Amino acid sequence: MTSFLSARGVSKTFGNSASGVLALSNVSLDVREGEFVCLLGASGCGKSTLLNMFAGFIPPSVGELRLRGEPISGIDPRCGMVFQSYALFPWKTVRENVAFGPKMRGAGRRERRDIAERFIEMVGLSGFGDHYPTELSGGMQQRVTLARCLAADPEVLLMDEPFAALDAMTREILQEELGRIHMRSGKTVVFVTHNIDEALIMADRIVVMSPRPGRISAFIGNELPKPRNIDTQLLPSYARMKREVWSHIAGDMAAMRDNN
Amino acid sequence: MSTPAPGDLALPARESPTGSASGRRRWRLSGLGRPVLLLNLLGIFAFYAVWALATETGAVSPLFFPSPSMVAAEARSVAGTADLWMSVVASGRRVFLGFGLAALVAVPLGIVMGCWWPAKATIDPLISLLRPLPSITWIPLTMLWLGIGEGQKIAIVFMGSWIYILLYTVESTKRVDPLLIKAARNLGAGSFAVMREVVLPGSLPGILAGLKVSLAIAWSCVLSAEMVAAQTGLGALIWSAKDWSNMPLVLVGMICISATVLVADLIANWIEARLLPWERARRTH
Repeated sequence: MTSFLSARGVSKTFGNSASGVLALSNVSLDVREGEFVCLLGASGCGKSTLLNMFAGFIPPSVGELRLRGEPISGIDPRCGMVFQSYALFPWKTVRENVAFGPKMRGAGRRERRDIAERFIEMVGLSGFGDHYPTELSGGMQQRVTLARCLAADPEVLLMDEPFAALDAMTREILQEELGRIHMRSGKTVVFVTHNIDEALIMADRIVVMSPRPGRISAFIGNELPKPRNIDTQLLPSYARMKREVWSHIAGDMAAMRDNN
Repeated sequence: MSTPAPGDLALPARESPTGSASGRRRWRLSGLGRPVLLLNLLGIFAFYAVWALATETGAVSPLFFPSPSMVAAEARSVAGTADLWMSVVASGRRVFLGFGLAALVAVPLGIVMGCWWPAKATIDPLISLLRPLPSITWIPLTMLWLGIGEGQKIAIVFMGSWIYILLYTVESTKRVDPLLIKAARNLGAGSFAVMREVVLPGSLPGILAGLKVSLAIAWSCVLSAEMVAAQTGLGALIWSAKDWSNMPLVLVGMICISATVLVADLIANWIEARLLPWERARRTH
């Protein structure tokens, strides 16, 4: 079976090849259909670079990325991106933002409205359809971004530290909701984070990445029972998992310190 | 509590009824508690006082500069005739047509230039050549082509304003957040959809600001065109008043121009607020 979403021997150099910075070195990754994968690592490990390559925003210097066996070349709507800074259209209402994907694929007015309502409700924003994004809090804006992405019906959801700018309580609520939406929709998710707890709550599998150059240092399956929520963090198995993940990251940190 | 009703609602949206918004506006009008409006009125009054004092006392000859009472008397007498109002309408119509045409050409062209570099690279040198030319330099050629009728006046307004509209539009497209273009393409938008759905609305505030500046320029164009060759319009009114040495009427004409442009600006502001509802939402928070 060919894998659903894959990166094969991918490297990325920013700047020219002689003096450029090697952001990502020989990364290979296979994501199963419906899987929730977290790319976890400190800043500079290339996790966002990898995500942007899956979206087709930047091309790899070496290697290739594929979705359902087809190479990803250029910006690909099959891989929907949820941006950390929301990237909502400020001149469109919540409903118009969410209906953007359906509009682009030629859906009629009525159909767009129905789709938008469904996803606005899914992210818990019923009644806010006519508001402009600037009238909403950060957490609500991130819900709109998620709804907009889901409404475009991509095959893969790419999420670039989507909750990093939110306060801790809002973050936990949205994590729980995203977990529920993932289970219900069965979408494949690649989620970038630098937060171990977030990775443990969200991921089916954690891909630990290390910096200088950016590379994958470990794959860790996450068997914690679902649905996960705040209580999950009290399980003894959670503490064990967290220690295991941390041991990989701590190893990298120590290596980095020695190099400096 | 299975569905935490959006628990993160710091809820600015519902707590801002119009009351607080207009409260904010009043606060802004007075500019951080400074008596701006008072000083505005004081400035106007001071100007009027100096003018009245200098002319009514005879310190300045009325032949040199007419007094407020002479201007007021002249205004009263011409306001009763059709001449003044026909002049305002004639000039207004020329500005409306010439400026409207310029906007219809320059805004779409500017959007395309902002999105597609070959268009910009082709047109940029032409703009550099045309931009330094004041609109009055077009008077001989346009008269040759179009005579001295309405078409020629409209052409002068067009030539004088389209480049500014174009420059403002191109500049505004540069201020559209590239992340939004990325997001739109990620959601399946093609090049044309990106222009229509992202670049145009994203640069609209800048375009409208540019249109307001260009509108004032369009007015100055029509007046110079009317001073050279026209029987109607505010420019012609002022020019013929000069020939009759009727300085009070010259001043009435000048005041009329100021007032007309002010009213046009108010209308432009009103249209702007209607076209940019999201900006209003941002401002009230």
